[in-house]
Amino acid sequence: MKNLLQKSLKQLTIFAFIVFALSIPSYFLLVDWIWLKELDENNHLIAERIENEFNEQNISDEKLAENIKFWNEIQPVSKIEYTKQPLAQDSLYTIRRENSYATREDVIDRFRGLKTNIKINNRNYILVVETNVEETEETVAYIAMVTLLFFLILVVGFWILNRRLSKKLWQPFQDTLQKLKSFQLNSQKQIDFQETDTIEFAELNATLDKLLQHSIATYASQKEFTENASHELQTPLAILKNKLDILMQGNDLTERQYHIAEEMNKALIRSTRINKNLLLLAKIENSQFDNSQLIGFDTLVAQTMEGLQEHFKEKSISIGSDISSDVEVKGNSGLTEALINNLIINAIRHTASGGAIRVVLSKSGFEVRNSGGQKLNPDLLFKRFSRMSADNSGSGLGLSIVQEICKLHGWQVAYNFENNEHIFKVTF
Amino acid sequence: MKILIIEDEKELAKSIVEYLSEEKYLCEVASTFTEAMNKIDVFNYDCILLDITLPDGNGLKILEELKKENKQDGVIIISAKNSVDDKIKGLQIGADDYLTKPFHLSELTARIYSLIRRKQFNSSNIIKQDELEIDLWAKTVSVNSEPITLTKKEFDLLIYFIGNKNRVLSKSTLAEHLSGDFADMLDNHDFVYAHVKNLKKKLSDAGCEQYIKTVYGTGYKWEG
Repeated sequence: MKNLLQKSLKQLTIFAFIVFALSIPSYFLLVDWIWLKELDENNHLIAERIENEFNEQNISDEKLAENIKFWNEIQPVSKIEYTKQPLAQDSLYTIRRENSYATREDVIDRFRGLKTNIKINNRNYILVVETNVEETEETVAYIAMVTLLFFLILVVGFWILNRRLSKKLWQPFQDTLQKLKSFQLNSQKQIDFQETDTIEFAELNATLDKLLQHSIATYASQKEFTENASHELQTPLAILKNKLDILMQGNDLTERQYHIAEEMNKALIRSTRINKNLLLLAKIENSQFDNSQLIGFDTLVAQTMEGLQEHFKEKSISIGSDISSDVEVKGNSGLTEALINNLIINAIRHTASGGAIRVVLSKSGFEVRNSGGQKLNPDLLFKRFSRMSADNSGSGLGLSIVQEICKLHGWQVAYNFENNEHIFKVTF
Repeated sequence: MKILIIEDEKELAKSIVEYLSEEKYLCEVASTFTEAMNKIDVFNYDCILLDITLPDGNGLKILEELKKENKQDGVIIISAKNSVDDKIKGLQIGADDYLTKPFHLSELTARIYSLIRRKQFNSSNIIKQDELEIDLWAKTVSVNSEPITLTKKEFDLLIYFIGNKNRVLSKSTLAEHLSGDFADMLDNHDFVYAHVKNLKKKLSDAGCEQYIKTVYGTGYKWEG
């Protein structure tokens, strides 16, 4: 890709080339025309001078004939010939012939000639005056050389100007571009565009500003909606849950009814959790968490693993860990705990019975590996409600929460599949 | 035992009252900030269930007022706001516990039970049921004066059962209780069965009568 000025430079260069190329024959024709015109004038002057000078001599006819003969010998470029019948009119011509003065014989020169009538001692003579003119191809060559030189100066000039212009002229544009590149919708921060006196850029900035304001407002209201919706759902869910609790205590409940109630309870617990997780996601996105606490990451990992021991046992999962001590990070302790818990629970959920999980913590990052069959699609993995397996028991939000928590803390989370192991790595 | 339920959601208050009344608790309901303030001015309660978001005021103000007047009422905040800040603020002002909506009534009962226990017996806090003795402070259990060792989860489970005597506790409810407030949770509830089985075994091995009964195949009940 080329930048805009580079593109216009190319067009301009082509145009300039065509103009300059066309200028070469034009200049040539012009110069040649001037040349010939001047030479014709010059030839006329010479003819007049010769006529006058011969007449001023006041010599006899014999002497004149001798002199003319002598003249014709020493002046091959002007010939005087006696005629009885003067020419009807002067004639002008251009001729190419050998130059009798040239040192080299084979050099062909161009001459402009004038054939005119003169009167010496009242006798008619025809005078031919010829003057050397620059050759066509030489004129063309010189003009072409000069034109090319100017063409080069023009192109180099364009190029230098272009570079300076692209820096100076486009500076507000570059500034806007940089600001747009670093813009994050979820940070909810307006961009302050640079003041500019270029109409186009000012217009661009104003339009972008309007667009961004609209996006930010829409995004904010959407996030607010998620938070409000989940919040509003909490109360009816609470009522349902409590009514169900009461129902299950009924003395006249049959076993079948109890099981139905228990299934409802399970579904309710799940919807409650989805709702809680949605709320949590909305809150993380709305930056409602303080992430400046100093957290002992190793302690949290150890606690979480301790708490999940029973689940490892339950599925006969062998658990390995390599946890460096004194790993301290800055962040939110509750969210960090949720992150560790979600990653390990995710591993437990998707490890087959008898599989293995390995948890690694170092100063640079935290890693959960679990045995598995095939690579998962990393693009879908962290998406909300995109379940990768047939097991749909989770809330479908666990990994999205992990990702959001990482984003909030400025950490990176990545998925890899190596040696039949799913690897989730959080890099601090 | 007198309990004040400060809750603006009528149905929620009704369920809590219905569930708690069976425990011989005397329940009163205040559905607005003003009503609640009037009640705590005049009466003393063993436990106050406090909803923070009330139509005409912030529940935390009620808590502040209670503490200012140096009242000894135990306070459990029940809030739909699962915000850590609110939780910390509430506990700092002097709430004894914090429960996020939606919760199971059995969870609430267990918390009330522990809270009232803690408030009543300041030095020693021992629950006795025939041959079984539980020290809530030391977190020890003994059968016929012989101490038995329980894991943290088993002890937790035992207290939950005691706090919900004669109540049907479903496996999913117990699973939720044992898992705590994690963002993501496993839906496999078989671990509950393992814990209950271990607890039952430890108790009966020590010569304790079998109080934990299985009901409807998958639920449990502590009879006593």
